[in-house]
Amino acid sequence: MDDSGSVVAFWTLAALTVGSALMVVAVRNLVHAVVYLILSFVGVAGIFVLLSADFLAVAQVLIYAGAIPVLIIFAIMLTPRAARDNAETSLGLPALPLVGALLATIISIAVVTDWPEATRGGFEETTSVIGEALLSTYVLPFEIASVLLLAAMLGAIILVRED
Amino acid sequence: MPFDWLRAGPPLAEWWDLRDLGNAVGGLLGWIDDRGGPSWLPYVVSGLIGIVGILLWSVFSQLFFVWAERRLVARIQVRLGPNRAGPLGLLQPVADALKVLTKEMITPRNADRLLFWASPILVMVPALVVFAVLPFGERMVLADLNVGVLFVIAIGSINTIVVFMAGWSSSNKFSLLGAMRTVAMLISYELVQVLALLAVVVFTNSMRMGAIVGWQDDFNTWIVFVQPLALLAYIFAGAVEINRTPTDIAEAESEIVAGYHTEYGGIRWGMFQLAEYVAGFAIAAIVVTMYLGGWTLWGLEEWVPGWLIFLGKLYGFFFVFIWMRGTLPRLRVDQLMGFAWKYLLPLLLVNVLLAGLEVLIWQENGFAAEAVLPAFAVANWALAVVLVVGWGQVLGHLRPEHRAKRPVLVKEVGAILYEPYPLRPGGSVPEA
Amino acid sequence: MAMKTEPFVVNIGPQHPSTHGVFRMKLTLDGERIIDVDMILGYLHRSMEKLAEERTYTQNIPFTDRADYLAAMTGNLAYCLAAEKLAGVEVPERAQWLRVIMSELQRIASHALAIGTFINDCGAWHTPLMYMLREREKVLDLFEMACGARLTVNYMRIGGVAFDVPDGFVPACRALVKEMPDRIAEYEGLLLENEILVARARGVGILPADMAIAYSISGPMLRGSGVAWDLRKADPYAVYDQVDFDIPVGTNGDSYDRFLVRMEEMRQSVRILEQGLDALPGGPVNVDIPVALMPPPGETYARIESPRGELGFYVVSDGGPAPFRFHIRAASYINLSALREMTVGLTVADAIVVLGSVDIVMGEVDR
Repeated sequence: MDDSGSVVAFWTLAALTVGSALMVVAVRNLVHAVVYLILSFVGVAGIFVLLSADFLAVAQVLIYAGAIPVLIIFAIMLTPRAARDNAETSLGLPALPLVGALLATIISIAVVTDWPEATRGGFEETTSVIGEALLSTYVLPFEIASVLLLAAMLGAIILVRED
Repeated sequence: MPFDWLRAGPPLAEWWDLRDLGNAVGGLLGWIDDRGGPSWLPYVVSGLIGIVGILLWSVFSQLFFVWAERRLVARIQVRLGPNRAGPLGLLQPVADALKVLTKEMITPRNADRLLFWASPILVMVPALVVFAVLPFGERMVLADLNVGVLFVIAIGSINTIVVFMAGWSSSNKFSLLGAMRTVAMLISYELVQVLALLAVVVFTNSMRMGAIVGWQDDFNTWIVFVQPLALLAYIFAGAVEINRTPTDIAEAESEIVAGYHTEYGGIRWGMFQLAEYVAGFAIAAIVVTMYLGGWTLWGLEEWVPGWLIFLGKLYGFFFVFIWMRGTLPRLRVDQLMGFAWKYLLPLLLVNVLLAGLEVLIWQENGFAAEAVLPAFAVANWALAVVLVVGWGQVLGHLRPEHRAKRPVLVKEVGAILYEPYPLRPGGSVPEA
Repeated sequence: MAMKTEPFVVNIGPQHPSTHGVFRMKLTLDGERIIDVDMILGYLHRSMEKLAEERTYTQNIPFTDRADYLAAMTGNLAYCLAAEKLAGVEVPERAQWLRVIMSELQRIASHALAIGTFINDCGAWHTPLMYMLREREKVLDLFEMACGARLTVNYMRIGGVAFDVPDGFVPACRALVKEMPDRIAEYEGLLLENEILVARARGVGILPADMAIAYSISGPMLRGSGVAWDLRKADPYAVYDQVDFDIPVGTNGDSYDRFLVRMEEMRQSVRILEQGLDALPGGPVNVDIPVALMPPPGETYARIESPRGELGFYVVSDGGPAPFRFHIRAASYINLSALREMTVGLTVADAIVVLGSVDIVMGEVDR
């Protein structure tokens, strides 16, 4: 991954992702925060593309940039107007050293660890591999996830039904 | 194999072979490579050519289709359509564009400025980006992704959030209503879209658009012959995704003025309209690629350029959308969603199950394609008719009491012939 | 566990592509369901009734054109009947038949527009409307032939009609009568069993018969609710007792039935036209009355079956050249009073469909 294209792409996408994530917490309007969240998700999808994970990248766009923000928007619509301010809270100052410590821990671990470097092979087909894995090796988590989603849908319907 | 005599065309691949414009681009890239230069230059150049090509094509197609739609809808409505601006009214789109460009762009006082400014721009993005995976010809794809079908669905799902942003940022109750209706509609029909496209992928064993067209070329058949129900469902889901009649609830002019783009004036509104047309072309292109054989026409593509065949099919299919707009009235939003969840979804699930079964039988037993595919085609068409009519009966859509009842003709005054509908428990009237 | 949502108020109109004139509805919505409808009228009030007190009886006839501007002939007719009752004027035979012919032509034109705009409200982008306007154009051409105007005809006079019809009128009218049944059959074939139209209009805006009678509804709305009542049969005027026709009555009281009733009434109007053209006698078309007609003091109420319902004129005379009181009992105004009953519990889209099926003309509502 040393060619200039990949390097430029990586740093651009990283800047986009991290920058949007910072704007999510920094901006005042809650709906603007959702928009920056979408941008951040799209950045992550770009990084997946950089890692040759095509299925994951498109699934990221489909689920995270397409469906989750709708969910968040509906949640925002249901909150009363006064609580829609993404402004400062009193927890901002105590959280700063905590987050700083967490960030320092993660950076030091990332720098100190001896990462095994994978060679960059061909662009193999990931979709069929993921599909077969989901239905053979990981079939139990797959089924449990489906049942969980079914339970969530049924719960939502029961909650909103007028008797 | 039938149509072999059509395939006897000269197999050229030189840069001046217009039957596939990718040849010319390939020639240009080879020339750049020979001249030396950085290794990323051919990629960038080919990307740029693709992007500019798509943009120019979509703009010019749209100009033509604004005129074509208005004249066609007018003919359906027993009137003439634009015929003043230019010969046959052909300069009408130019007149429209000039008007839209010079109109004042008013921003409401309480509107969310960032989102209000960004929405018209962002609404064009999904419509244009989806063209990146659609093959106009054998070597005329901007990015032949291995997950092309999934990419199309993902980009379609971005449409939802963009439309909601447009309605929300107008600070107008009507626009918000339109935006909420649209979001509910789009989510319901995303599922229908996925299942309809999945039926194709089950047969072709690949999500790459080029491979899908290749499958249809190899087996000399269009997938519409093998999966009619999926095409029907996709046409409807596509019409919903691009907010066209009979499902243009979001911009139901006679109800909430213009829905989510009420407050946008001038070129902002122009962008919404352009995005609708380009999205319409995108849906038509997806249908043509996945169900109607793409740029192949049983061997004719050796003589006639493949991209001309593709464009011909695309415009021919877009005519179906224009026809639906001129003819059908609009559904109510809860009826539309009921149609998706209660009617289309079970039908498509059964369809995917049976498609999987058929492919399994075919692969496990290694039957020859010429024997098996016609059998599948007949079976699937029969199944489609049975399912559509049967499920409609089960759900109560085609019952005799919903047939038209003419009024009773009486000669004398004074009688009262009122029969109330039988009420459901809870006091509500049963739906038609 | 119910979620607490706030109702919010949405204002539809007065400028709105589908409120059939300057009509304002304040809908209180809970989500998409309507919980209250507040109608605000008066945007087209032109104080017709007061102005009429300053003008002679003949000068008031153009006012009636502009009250129900989509059914001007019938408006004229109602007023002329009232004035004739007051003044005791006899109308010649030919004028009576011409009045019937013109009224039925006006009914066809008005219903064509009403049905077309109703389906427009259901969302069919003007296509059925354009088809219906074909027929309306032919009728308006006939009006132009007869009196020179298409919309505000000013054709009836106290004691008859203004002019005799020219020679080309009867053949043109016969041609229209010949092709109308085919056209109506074509519209019925296209529209009656359209799934989407049935889904939009069936069961929407139900008005039970007893409620319709209680609200004094009249016209196709009343007949759609199942009450067989038509003033042309119940209280015949002009020569309606000499023509044979049926009145269509719906059975369910929803918007779909009102639409069906209007469609069928067009067919019955064609029947009456045929009989009228066959029976048209010769003779004078009006009676000489003084320019400033001064009927003896008294009051009268004359009513007719206009395309929208019972259009009545209550005229009080004090012996002078101008009426003392000139009141229009407007069909649309009274029909509109039931809107709240029909709309509560429906969605916004349905409210528009119901309003379209009531068929209001704001000129009549606001006067």
